Amino acid sequence: MHVRFARKYPAVLALVAALCAITIGPVHAQSAEETRTIEHGKDIFKIKATCQFCHKWDASGDQGYGGNALSLRQTKLTPAQVAETVKCGRPGTGMPFHDQFAYTDKRCYGVTRTDLGNDVPPEPNAFLNSDEIDAVVKYVFAKVVGRGPSTYEECVEFWGADTRECEPMKQ
Amino acid sequence: MMYVTDGWGSVYAIDVSAGTKGAIKWKFDPGIDRAWAGDVACCGVNNRGVALWKDKVISIALDGRMFAINKATGEKVWERKIADPTLGETITMAPLVVRDLAIVGPAGGEFGIRGFIDATDLNTGQQAWRTYTIPGAGEPGNDTWKDGADHWKHGGAPVWETATYDPETDTIYQGIGNAGADWDPQYRPGDNKWAASVLALNPANGAIKWGFQYTPNDPFDFDEISEHPVIDAKVNGKDRKLVVHAARNGFFYALDRTNGAFVGGKQYVDKLNWTTGLDPETGLPANYDPKAGVQVYTPGTHGMRGEPLANICPSHFGAKNWEPTAYNPTLNTLYIPSVEGCDGLETVAQKDFADQGGTVKPRERFSGGSFKMTGRLYGSLKAIDPTTGDIKAAVRLDFPNYAGALATAGNLVFLGQADGTFTAYDAKTLQQAWSFSVGTGINAPAVSYSVNGKQYIAVLAGSRQSPFVMQNDPSLKYSSTTSMLFVFGL
Repeated sequence: MHVRFARKYPAVLALVAALCAITIGPVHAQSAEETRTIEHGKDIFKIKATCQFCHKWDASGDQGYGGNALSLRQTKLTPAQVAETVKCGRPGTGMPFHDQFAYTDKRCYGVTRTDLGNDVPPEPNAFLNSDEIDAVVKYVFAKVVGRGPSTYEECVEFWGADTRECEPMKQ
Repeated sequence: MMYVTDGWGSVYAIDVSAGTKGAIKWKFDPGIDRAWAGDVACCGVNNRGVALWKDKVISIALDGRMFAINKATGEKVWERKIADPTLGETITMAPLVVRDLAIVGPAGGEFGIRGFIDATDLNTGQQAWRTYTIPGAGEPGNDTWKDGADHWKHGGAPVWETATYDPETDTIYQGIGNAGADWDPQYRPGDNKWAASVLALNPANGAIKWGFQYTPNDPFDFDEISEHPVIDAKVNGKDRKLVVHAARNGFFYALDRTNGAFVGGKQYVDKLNWTTGLDPETGLPANYDPKAGVQVYTPGTHGMRGEPLANICPSHFGAKNWEPTAYNPTLNTLYIPSVEGCDGLETVAQKDFADQGGTVKPRERFSGGSFKMTGRLYGSLKAIDPTTGDIKAAVRLDFPNYAGALATAGNLVFLGQADGTFTAYDAKTLQQAWSFSVGTGINAPAVSYSVNGKQYIAVLAGSRQSPFVMQNDPSLKYSSTTSMLFVFGL
């Protein structure tokens, strides 16, 4: 299905490839407001949009009943590209769009629902507004992207300490 | 008194004697570690109910425990750990009580478990017996796993819906789930017994009397866990003792319940593309090749390594998933609530488990690929003759059905839907007789009971649909969830 997507939308993939070359900005101290935004983003990732159902709690990607979901830990996408993917989904795959009005006009990849036919991404569990998309992207880049394999400490941070969920990672 | 559960395994005792409202007398909360158990539930947080035994309620929780609860007070008498989320096992089914035993099994077909059927002695709270649904080394059927690398040890064949007990033959009929890894049949050449099958067992010791496999080397995820009604009926003029099954693979089957012999079968789902029919002698798929290790059903309906994309009808959710059929013995009619339509599959070569030299750890998904919605699914309610499979009447539903049917002696059939519509149909014509919207999703079959001679119909509502169900029916995301019992007087 990826081949078909590339054939039909070469411009989109070219753009993705070009943007992949841009590196992420320098790390800086987190303000209280940024911390709150990241917490909000975690809630969206975990509960409202249920991103973790398919991508797993550590965003390392998975298969099965969540579809073949990609790893965000290893992604080369920029924050803007991840935001676009959350907003518009990925045509031809199971990644849903979260902008309620995606594909009603040409805001996503320059195409409409009619243009995409059967390749329209699925609808999400919950639509997200632009602030929510911003928060979930900030969460993903603060806690997940480029981090390598997840750790016990990250697991406890995600699930809390009052569960056995992280025990298998305790070595 | 009525005993109901919620998804996390809390049991509620509801006094329904007033006839005008339900009064909750007690609640038992098993105190589940929700993240720990919920993270290995493939398809949502489910609990399919309790059993009653003497003065106790017998319940289960997602984290693999069984409980005996004092039915007057709600106090726990004992608990027993049966399934282990450490291994990806959970329990979602209502126990089957036969004499002094409670019989359950684990879900986990997407997590590389090895399924089993387990009996607990209710007098002691200890295990009475356990029979694995995948035969061990040296046992009959183990040679249907031909990979040579012991993949049967992680071969799935889970159990997640209550078996049927037939007192006449003293037999339990347990439907068995999919082989793992779900969508990579080349990972597990061979028929993969007893995945996608029914097993007839002796309840005294768990010994297998016979088995019948619906989809050998299942490449679709066609669990056949759902109910197996027992029916006595005339077939071609002869009295037959039947066990019947509306299978996830799209066919209705009638078997001789004394020996597992195939009596008849017929397609009941609207669209079926993976085979051309059933062999009239064996009941096996017409394009089944007994010499092949990896079955090639109709090309393009299941993924293979190198040609991973496929389109399967009925969808991999099955023509009928867990939602139970209902039987009206007076009319000799079986009512099948179904899931109609197709979806896409994609095979990804499965990696080995860590204990077999690979990288997959327990609790990680083990499905050999995934699926993709390719169009909207819908549902049906079909009235069939269980001796022939002939469809007598059918009604199309807006939503694929995940609730199940109830047939009453007054010749009505009750069915709930994912949008909260609860409808009574005429049992002969399936014309709508009555309908009511409860305003929140129904994922459970109704029950009928009476108090002081007055009959009531009760149904649980409030379900949240799984993300993959909502992908197919996006309007459902606007419905609110709750845990609500609705009761209607006739």
